[in-house]
Amino acid sequence: MSSVRRARPWLGTLVDIRVDGMESTSALRAIDAAFAEVAMVHRLMSFHSDDSDLARLHNARTGTCVRVNARTGEVLDWALRVAAASDGAFDPAVAAAQVARGALPVPRSTFVPDADASWRDIELPGGEHVRLRRPLWIDLGGIAKGYAVDRAIEVLRAHGAIDACVNAGGDLRVAGALVERVHVRDARGGIAAELELSDGAVATSGCASAHRDGASRRAAEPEITVSVVAPRCMVADALTKVVLARGDAARAVLAGFAAQAWTHRAAHGWRQLDRVA
Amino acid sequence: MQVRWLLSAGVGATVVAQAAYAVQYMTVEQAQQAAFAQGSRFVPVAATIDTSALGAPSGWMPLVWRVQRDAETIGWFFEDAVIGKSELITYALALDASGKVTSLEVLEYRESHGGEVRLAGWRNQFTGKTAADAVALDRDIRNISGATLSCRHLTEGVHRLLQLYTHVLAAKP
Repeated sequence: MSSVRRARPWLGTLVDIRVDGMESTSALRAIDAAFAEVAMVHRLMSFHSDDSDLARLHNARTGTCVRVNARTGEVLDWALRVAAASDGAFDPAVAAAQVARGALPVPRSTFVPDADASWRDIELPGGEHVRLRRPLWIDLGGIAKGYAVDRAIEVLRAHGAIDACVNAGGDLRVAGALVERVHVRDARGGIAAELELSDGAVATSGCASAHRDGASRRAAEPEITVSVVAPRCMVADALTKVVLARGDAARAVLAGFAAQAWTHRAAHGWRQLDRVA
Repeated sequence: MQVRWLLSAGVGATVVAQAAYAVQYMTVEQAQQAAFAQGSRFVPVAATIDTSALGAPSGWMPLVWRVQRDAETIGWFFEDAVIGKSELITYALALDASGKVTSLEVLEYRESHGGEVRLAGWRNQFTGKTAADAVALDRDIRNISGATLSCRHLTEGVHRLLQLYTHVLAAKP
């Protein structure tokens, strides 16, 4: 029994998929199917492309119900849960501010986004429909990569894989009996720590500059690195942004998602965010 | 879910290792076999490449194969390398007979030593190296979480190969 590992460029990064302990022809078939799923998530949730679900939302009349793929519905549902729990520190609806700063390209859109719009203006009437109450642009960049990793793990399992590891540029999930050692990078790119993970996910957001609190729009502290460990990669991914924005105040949010976080600052080294008593 | 943080937190606990991360995913032969049906022949093509016309860096030298079945050309296969700020990626691209991409696989990914990159020196260590050469890699590093790996250079590389196909290979009889 071997280990089969492949990497392909998706989601603006390299996606690395590994299956252990499976006969290689079956493992390759499972890996191909998992990459096809990652590609699907990429196409549906791309902010840049003109035929993604997001593009369709950005070109629909405000207030109308737009049908989206169930995957997009699921990611939006979780994005809104994290937004609600963090009081908007994570907010998928503030893409217009990022576009204004040049952090995202200007999407093709039939409307000018409302500067006061937030996640509260996104409605999900059922799993495959979205309604925007105000004109706003959605960016799922802070959560879709983690979701793609979760979906890849599910597809691998559906193809009979048990021990597997998927890593999309640092958003990583381990399944089965594997105990994976993960090296975590600090904001400058050095390897700063190691952790051992099984049956769970880790995501790391470095932050030299760009991240902003979705609610206050203030820039997060520079030169800080945040790693979040959670059962699902999508949640770990989104929560790194909450910790970047809120620091210790993110403790209660983490607890609500069964997640743990570590932060690294050049001056202080690594520190686990205190658990809620 | 189980997690064990292997580094005690606190002041001074910053850099554990200055090791290089590298993974070999596939060999060229494996990529060729995966991209084309059994019985395909891979005929090396010595393409004369005018790098400036294709907007490619000087010294760009992808390997090119014409893929044949009997006497018929059924596709094209390329092996190429791209160098980023801190990474070297070798990859394989397969096109069908009409020039449509049918597969793109990373063959090898190599990273520099932690944050201690001195660009010129680091690049030089790859010159003339093959996958078999050791470049002080730490084979224990299997997973990295952190600064997002960019695939921008890879995307640019694929674009250059498609240009090469369109302007040089497809034009050949």
